[in-house]
Amino acid sequence: MDSKNSRILFCGMLALGILFFSLSGAIAQTASTNGNEYHTPSQVNDILRDIHDANGNNTKIHELAESPGGHQLLMIEIGPEVHSSKKTKPAIFVVGNMEGTIPVSTEAALYLANEVLVSEASSSKTWYILPNGNPDAAANYFNSPLIQDSRNDRPHNDDMDEQEDEDGWEDLNGDGMITQMRVKDPTGAWMVIEGEPLLMKRADRSKGEKGMYKLYSEGIDNDEDGQYNEDSDGGVNVNRNFPHLFKDFTETGGAWPGSTPEVYAILEFAYAHPEIAMTYSLGATNFSMVPPKGGRQGSADYSQLEIPESFAEQLGADPNKTYSMEEVIEMVQPLAPPGFEITESVVASFLGLGAVVNPMDADLKFYKELSDQYKEYLEEKDFSTERLDPEPAKDGSFELWSYYHLGIPTFSMDFWTLPEFKEEKKEEGSGITIEKLEEMSSEDFLELGEEKITLFLKESGAPERFSAKMVIGMVEGGQVTPARMAAMMKQMPKPPSAEGVDPDDKALLAFNKNVLNGKGYAEWEAYDHPALGEVEIGGEAPYVRNTPPASMLDSLLSVQVPWVLEVASKIAKLEILKTSATHKGNDVYEVSVWVENTAYLPFPTAMGEKNQNPKPAIITLTGDIEVLSGKTRTAINSLGGLQVKKYSWIVRITESDEIEINVDSAHAWGDRTELKVGGAQ
Amino acid sequence: MRYLKELLLGIIICSTAIATAKAQDIEVPLRFDHYYDYGQVVEAVKALNKAYPDMTDIEVIGTSEEGREIWSLTLNNPQTGEALQKPGVYVDGNIHGNEIQAAEVNLYLINYLLENYGELEKVTEMVDRNAFYFIPSINVDGRYHFFNDANTPSTNRGLRIPKDDDRDGLYDEDFPEDLNGDGSITQMRKKDPFGEWKTDPEDPRLLVRVEPGEMGEWTILGQEGIDNDGDGRINEDSEGYVDPNRNWGSNWAPPYVQRGAGNYPYSGNVTKAVTRFMMDRPNIIMVFAFHNNGGMFLRGPGTKSEGPLNAQDISVYDVLGENAEKIVPGYRYLISWKDLYSTYGDFTEFTYNQVGAFSFVGELFMEESETYTAHDEEEAEAAPGFGTNNARQRERLEFNDHVVQGSLYHEWETYDHPKYGEVEIGGWTKMSSRLPHPFMLQDLVHRNASAVMFAASQTPDIKIQMYESSKIDNNLYQVRVRLVNKNTIPTMTYHSVKNKLFPQDQLTVSGRNIKVVAGGKLTNVYNNTVDYKEHKPEIQFLRVPGSGLVEYQFLIEGSGSFSIQYKSRKAGNLVQEYSLH
Repeated sequence: MDSKNSRILFCGMLALGILFFSLSGAIAQTASTNGNEYHTPSQVNDILRDIHDANGNNTKIHELAESPGGHQLLMIEIGPEVHSSKKTKPAIFVVGNMEGTIPVSTEAALYLANEVLVSEASSSKTWYILPNGNPDAAANYFNSPLIQDSRNDRPHNDDMDEQEDEDGWEDLNGDGMITQMRVKDPTGAWMVIEGEPLLMKRADRSKGEKGMYKLYSEGIDNDEDGQYNEDSDGGVNVNRNFPHLFKDFTETGGAWPGSTPEVYAILEFAYAHPEIAMTYSLGATNFSMVPPKGGRQGSADYSQLEIPESFAEQLGADPNKTYSMEEVIEMVQPLAPPGFEITESVVASFLGLGAVVNPMDADLKFYKELSDQYKEYLEEKDFSTERLDPEPAKDGSFELWSYYHLGIPTFSMDFWTLPEFKEEKKEEGSGITIEKLEEMSSEDFLELGEEKITLFLKESGAPERFSAKMVIGMVEGGQVTPARMAAMMKQMPKPPSAEGVDPDDKALLAFNKNVLNGKGYAEWEAYDHPALGEVEIGGEAPYVRNTPPASMLDSLLSVQVPWVLEVASKIAKLEILKTSATHKGNDVYEVSVWVENTAYLPFPTAMGEKNQNPKPAIITLTGDIEVLSGKTRTAINSLGGLQVKKYSWIVRITESDEIEINVDSAHAWGDRTELKVGGAQ
Repeated sequence: MRYLKELLLGIIICSTAIATAKAQDIEVPLRFDHYYDYGQVVEAVKALNKAYPDMTDIEVIGTSEEGREIWSLTLNNPQTGEALQKPGVYVDGNIHGNEIQAAEVNLYLINYLLENYGELEKVTEMVDRNAFYFIPSINVDGRYHFFNDANTPSTNRGLRIPKDDDRDGLYDEDFPEDLNGDGSITQMRKKDPFGEWKTDPEDPRLLVRVEPGEMGEWTILGQEGIDNDGDGRINEDSEGYVDPNRNWGSNWAPPYVQRGAGNYPYSGNVTKAVTRFMMDRPNIIMVFAFHNNGGMFLRGPGTKSEGPLNAQDISVYDVLGENAEKIVPGYRYLISWKDLYSTYGDFTEFTYNQVGAFSFVGELFMEESETYTAHDEEEAEAAPGFGTNNARQRERLEFNDHVVQGSLYHEWETYDHPKYGEVEIGGWTKMSSRLPHPFMLQDLVHRNASAVMFAASQTPDIKIQMYESSKIDNNLYQVRVRLVNKNTIPTMTYHSVKNKLFPQDQLTVSGRNIKVVAGGKLTNVYNNTVDYKEHKPEIQFLRVPGSGLVEYQFLIEGSGSFSIQYKSRKAGNLVQEYSLH
């Protein structure tokens, strides 16, 4: 119950700024994209329809699904081929606000739709833009009281009792939002942070601190089961319901991947549209700036497979040894019935190898390069990059599914975090930062001396067992380099400052003071609670950490959103670079075709090459020919960015000496040419 | 299908050879001396409904990729309550299109239960106490094509979702062909002194691998057919392949991990339809999904990484599985991933995890039964999964020769192949290998239906007993209540309790003039230890174990009558009235 309550607390740790935000955003009445406003899901749909009405020739509205709460998931298609179901040009699939709690990402999607319409990109590609992937949750931002909750409106019995959705929050103090309640209680785990009366933290008994409060989210115990607000309305968190690393039996992930109609519709749509060459998720993560994270355990290493004893003897393998995938295929193939091809997938199935869970190295290369370019781009635009880190992608999210399952370049973007809080430099500090450490040579580092290193380790919150002596020894012994140390330190959670305020909270406190005029928190005020008696209600306002004041929208979106167009301009494009024919004797020729990916991004990603999901491009030769060597239909399974590959055939000309060469691709344009082999030597 | 003439010829041969019934012949009681094709399965379901309109409901639960209807039949006696108020026993078959006898097991069980209702006490009791749900043929397209097209015993297993198996941009463009027009896809072999095979000296129809240093005699060219798409490969892109038994949303993995998974869970029409059907029937607690072959009753988990099941559930599976082994001689009760192979996203994974039902896959038929030899583990290991075992093949050929008069094996015959030149075509026909010959069908369907009936007789049967009531004070009473389950299957799997799949059963004490002061589980009746529930003591949440009981103690203030209500998703609802005195 404790952990549950704290989860709900966390969900409910929302508060003020309601006045601030709702005045500027929630009360927008007209469906307009002009100006700095947040739009309700139904206003967003109206805007899409308006855009379509004004641009009938190159837009189309798709009704993807209806959410459990009755919201239409409308998607706008923009492009040169809206009137044909089979596209010849590639498409970009953009989803907004899958989390449902990030109103700025919905506005970004609308902004993007307008940008695309006035750009060359609307005639060279198709754009599928879904501004609200989780409209039930997105609607919360415009309701009173203000609640930040990612779940859709599907009923769910959170507390496994006799009723569904019977104990939600109440805005007891009538301030228009759900915050927290604290009750003085000697068994409570929470205390007020000294010097920061707005903030609470868990008491650390090892430091002699004592808890004084119990914390609850704001509300009453409607079903009188002793728990507060433990079974509010909803539902499924749409952005945990996708198939990659989906977890069974979570409270909010849904019963199975695609169990909620929003997600099932997206799965269906994506696979029905092989022209989709790239996806962009506008929301909480930012693959444009921070490449997808690796380092997860559990990816089967295809170069070191173990053969379980039950198969080992049949295969003539040693269960104590490891084998490469190629070796296993070779072992299994002779046992297969004739004509049955043993593939990686067959082996992966019977050995139960499981899915890939870390991004492929080759893909990280383009992610890294584009991220550097993006940072440069932002700097050129004088856009501050001093912000908190974007959230890491969640298991079961759209962006991980897109990368791992669709196998195409997958990007994401968030648009705003609290500005990073800069502590005033203490005079006696070490003067070292992780960034500086990254650049240091081992010699530079050792020169700092033990005293400074001790100070630095303390400042950066390194565990106490890492003494300066030990670290110096490791650097001297070559077990670790300063760069490696910096990489490790970046993985560590940021240290709480001396007062116990974490850096994110500091950022919020500063923003609250400097920009929000105190509306980021509700001051704790006494309230007479029907069951708990004397309580205080207060704490952080919902949405303050991820939702900028509406007045900032234009300046945020006008700089960041156009990068989507920039990345989209880099999707793979297959072109025939040249062709040749060499006479081999009689009517026999060797025909060669050089195919080039003239764009920066690979065709497809390394992940896509592995999972074989994106359709291959096919080179076909047509004419009065007999193909003696090679296939008349040859698959191009992969072609790296700016890479050229040569394909050759031996053919015999039967009549006309003209050969038509086609490169057909569902999502990389393709090309065609004619080759006259006559006269070739 | 270019060879229409051969194809039609094949259908004629095949339909005369297998003695399928004509639609108008289908009468109740159903006969089980032949196989029902897709249309006849539908007719049989309708005939059963027509003969027993009060006890059965039939429904189209969805349509396949090619537009065929998928029929279900619900068997419930409305006199003894609504279906949803009883333990649900769900049975299906033929999720793999070629595994056709699974539908016959379904039809047989329906027919048997209805025919013997009121005649045999055990049948009457299990029909009155349970709701039975049947979907005799799930993969209706597969069944249709298995009967109507030429096939091997193993083809047309999957769904008719086109897939570009050979990645040439064309979909399902290179099926096998029935070149010799015998209604089956058999093997092609070619004389080849450099081949890897030679004639088996003991039976010239069989081939054995050449020893090192020996010259060969034959090259096996694979399944009968031509290279339709001219890519140098034969039959490499036939239907699908999406395997409907890898397309379910529990522990699902994408196609590069699990062949045949489909692009996402429930991408197939039939898996989606069956899921909807089952989620609308939360009372389902027992599942049998019939397949062929090998003679096995399999339970999960499907992969090792899920970890072993809870001991509480294993003990229930063991009782049901060990009894099934006795009911169907030679069949083995096994664990799916461990004793067979890993599967992601299979059906019983879904039903155990998401429906909360004890779930078995019944792998019908073992070829050893043709010659009445037991399954031999050593022999099986000597001839691993994909391989062939000539000793067994020779026995089966004797069965073919002497018991079914040559009807299951097509002798090798020469054929002028457009690509390979002179080849020989021959081998096991489509109705061989995985299916019992019709004369053996009756035995197979009865015994396997009996394994289901044993489980159906063991679904939870709960009785409320108020076994103690004493006055403590003026108007304060202590009441002890017991919920007893005489059967093996508990009211919930332990797995679903642990994972909070749905709320547990409720025991509620209520009455106009009473108030429940305290209430909780009696953990030790002799020491009077009670685990009192802090809030709302009048509602208790619980699971009644198999062959066991749970006891609760309530302190009730007031007077007069009160009721004790038991509400269970899977074991029905009960109410009993008592009074305080």
